[in-house]
Amino acid sequence: MALLSPELLRRLEQFQLLAARRAKSSMKGERRSRARGQSVEFADYRNYTPGDDFRYLDWNLYGRLDRLFLKLYEEERELPVRVFLDASESMTFGEPPKFDFARQVAAASGYVALCGFDRVSVIPFPDNSNEAAVRGALRSVRGRKSTLSFFQNLGQVTASGSANLNEALRRGALEARQAGVAIILSDFLDPAGYEGGLSALVGRGFQVNAVQILAPDELNPPTYGDLKLVDSESGAFQEVTFGRYRLKVYQQTVQNFCQRLREFCTVRGVNFFMASSDTPLEQLLLKQLRQAEVWG
Amino acid sequence: MNFLAPAAFAFAAAIPVVIVFYMLKRRRVVKLVSSTLFWQKFLAETQASAPFQRLRHNWLLILQLLMLALIILALARPYFAGQERGGRLRVIILDASASMQSTDEKPSRFEKARQEALKFINTLQDSDETVVLQAGAQTEVRQSATSDKGALRRAINASMATDSPTRLAEAFKLSETLIKNRSDAEIHLFSDGAWPNLAEFENKNLPLAYHRVGQRANNLGIVSVDVRANPDDPSQRAVFANIGNFSTNAQQTEVELSFEDRILEVRPIHLAPTNMQALVFITPQSKDGVFTVRLMANDDLAADNRVSIVSLLPQPVNVLLVTRGNQILEKALRSQVHVQLSTSTVLTDSARVFEIVVLDDVMPAVWPAVNTLAIHTANTNWFSGWETVKTPPIVDWKNTHPLLRFVNFDNVFVAETLGVKAPAWGISLVDSPQTPLIIAGELERQRIVWIGFDTLNSTWPFRISFPIFMVNAIEWLNPASANSGQLMVRAGDPFRLGLPQPITSAEVTQPDGTTKSLPIEPTARELIFGETFRQGAYRLKAGTNQVTFCVNLMDAAESNIMPREELPFGKYGKVSATTLKRASMELWRWIAAAGLLVLLFEWWYYHKRTA
Repeated sequence: MALLSPELLRRLEQFQLLAARRAKSSMKGERRSRARGQSVEFADYRNYTPGDDFRYLDWNLYGRLDRLFLKLYEEERELPVRVFLDASESMTFGEPPKFDFARQVAAASGYVALCGFDRVSVIPFPDNSNEAAVRGALRSVRGRKSTLSFFQNLGQVTASGSANLNEALRRGALEARQAGVAIILSDFLDPAGYEGGLSALVGRGFQVNAVQILAPDELNPPTYGDLKLVDSESGAFQEVTFGRYRLKVYQQTVQNFCQRLREFCTVRGVNFFMASSDTPLEQLLLKQLRQAEVWG
Repeated sequence: MNFLAPAAFAFAAAIPVVIVFYMLKRRRVVKLVSSTLFWQKFLAETQASAPFQRLRHNWLLILQLLMLALIILALARPYFAGQERGGRLRVIILDASASMQSTDEKPSRFEKARQEALKFINTLQDSDETVVLQAGAQTEVRQSATSDKGALRRAINASMATDSPTRLAEAFKLSETLIKNRSDAEIHLFSDGAWPNLAEFENKNLPLAYHRVGQRANNLGIVSVDVRANPDDPSQRAVFANIGNFSTNAQQTEVELSFEDRILEVRPIHLAPTNMQALVFITPQSKDGVFTVRLMANDDLAADNRVSIVSLLPQPVNVLLVTRGNQILEKALRSQVHVQLSTSTVLTDSARVFEIVVLDDVMPAVWPAVNTLAIHTANTNWFSGWETVKTPPIVDWKNTHPLLRFVNFDNVFVAETLGVKAPAWGISLVDSPQTPLIIAGELERQRIVWIGFDTLNSTWPFRISFPIFMVNAIEWLNPASANSGQLMVRAGDPFRLGLPQPITSAEVTQPDGTTKSLPIEPTARELIFGETFRQGAYRLKAGTNQVTFCVNLMDAAESNIMPREELPFGKYGKVSATTLKRASMELWRWIAAAGLLVLLFEWWYYHKRTA
């Protein structure tokens, strides 16, 4: 299955990830950085010291002042983009499955980043040893020519197992040599919470975008009666009695959960988006993310 | 603490059932969900209904058990045996007379009275004792004194209106006995007030509350009927009917006469408000049968619109006159159409071949065994002794008695008479200060008319009243007419029939076609049938005899169905219609019922949630 339609890809090519901070990567790229190096963007002068490349001397200035100055240019670096993809069992639910939706968003984000000569890292969690090769290939992707293999590898990732969102985000924050843009694609339905992980990313200097993906069934449960609910990840069961009249209370519960998450994110400068897995992809990618200036 | 209904504790068996419901494991649908995170709230709430093998602490269960326990306790009707004084006594009298069948109240006055009485029962306190009386022709105790409201309601619901007139005096006498020495007793009468004056209770000061039912008096009724030989032509019969209009409007209707269900004549009548009109129908009659007079009026009371009367063809009557010679008497007897007169100077046997024996101033060797008219002679069985009384003045006579119909004793003088004391078997019809002069009665099923004086020693034979009296006497003594008089009884009165031979079984076919067997003792000489609550023709089969008798209302006071606001008790006493006081009504039943409803609602709501 093609993750993204050619039409969508064409429209995504026009975008570029917008970073509020200067890139801190050591690798060359197309992002402005605080480092001085070779580019066409003039940055500053400095006094000549023996051994400097004569090509960067400003001869016009030497003519007027009779002193040697060296012209400095801004070094353009790459922007590391880390996509945290929740590949736990709970993401397989919904019609269409939440995981499919999350992969499409990951692919689109990665494609925008690759088109902008940024480095993309997709980090599915939890770990799955069966997919070590595929996941390894997704750890660091750069250049537009890598798009095809990026999409292929992303298409082979499957969701299973029980995730620990906090731990995955914290580890991702620690692993990154430079902070960049972090995109978290998850349902955030982790009994252990999400606060620690998000705080770690923000503290590490990431510009965090959180996309919460929920299934339509989770928003409006279609089953009523005396139920024995089995948690897909933990295997624990809960016995509940649910009726149509309780629907509003349930929806309020969901709203409260999402609202807490939104407030947590807003306070920490995290862009938060909530999407049902049956939301049209264009709606999220071309409108919501663009309006929030994740890319533009 | 004691309990009035400890049997209600049997409902405690429901407690384990409730507990078992909570211990039962409910079957649930297993469903795999992505996460149970959103369901935590529901889990906490519905853990109460999440059953486990082991009973868990559960507020819902505790509340339900508590409510069940309270309801059982309420049903057991606990009470404290304190020093409280006894409950009050209430006597409920339900008027079950014919007028209570009036349909001006829907469906009828009696049903309305029943509803009122049931409402009254609801207002009683638990300690109150109540008696239910049904007052028709006879007063029946439907329920003796009890505080069991269920029994009282059953008694009231089992009561039925009859076609009989009201005899409230009996009910009041019974009530008076019941409430004697009970200062807080009350008599509650549910009636329309259609009954004659109750003067005898004027000074009794009965604690009576009168609950009036009825709205209007739209009624026409037949108040009397008689059938006789036509005075102008003895071969024909004359049927007399007296029709009353008891409403305040003029009424126009038709009166239908039928004989054995064959219509003979229909006559239109116009009745002025509160007036009566007499009708006479002349008709030939070829056999014994039942005449029925029917009013075609569409009024509120149907029971008085139809009257039946048995008419037997006149039969010759054999009369033996034992006399030493009395031309006037002989002529008076012989002039009667159906009399076949034999004369004799002595009587030596009991004269069983005759229907009537007339003893005129002779002392028979053997006293007759048949009905007897005895003139100036006396039997020691009849009187304990006698003496001669000279010139007794006639001071009084009972002109209401059939024997003295159209008879008066003005200007009748008697030279001498046998002076006796009024016997127990008869009543004195003509009195002088010293002695009864004429006595009529029945002694051992033998009718006797006794005249104490020799008619020839008086001026009576020269008065017109003498032959009239003789006609009356022969009719009264004639066994056939005596029987025909018994063939019409008023509703509620017992029907009596003499049995010449013992019989073993009898059966009565009632007006509605149902038959009823009467148990008869082999030695019984009289048959009594008391269930004459419905008007119409009853057919009695007793042994080989077949007798038809009629039950009729024929009561002007009952037909006047105008509801009375006040009950007259004599000249000065009266009781006004009252309204029910809804005081001290117990509420616990309603609260308990509400509790049950809440319980049901809780159960329904709980299950609705899972739908």
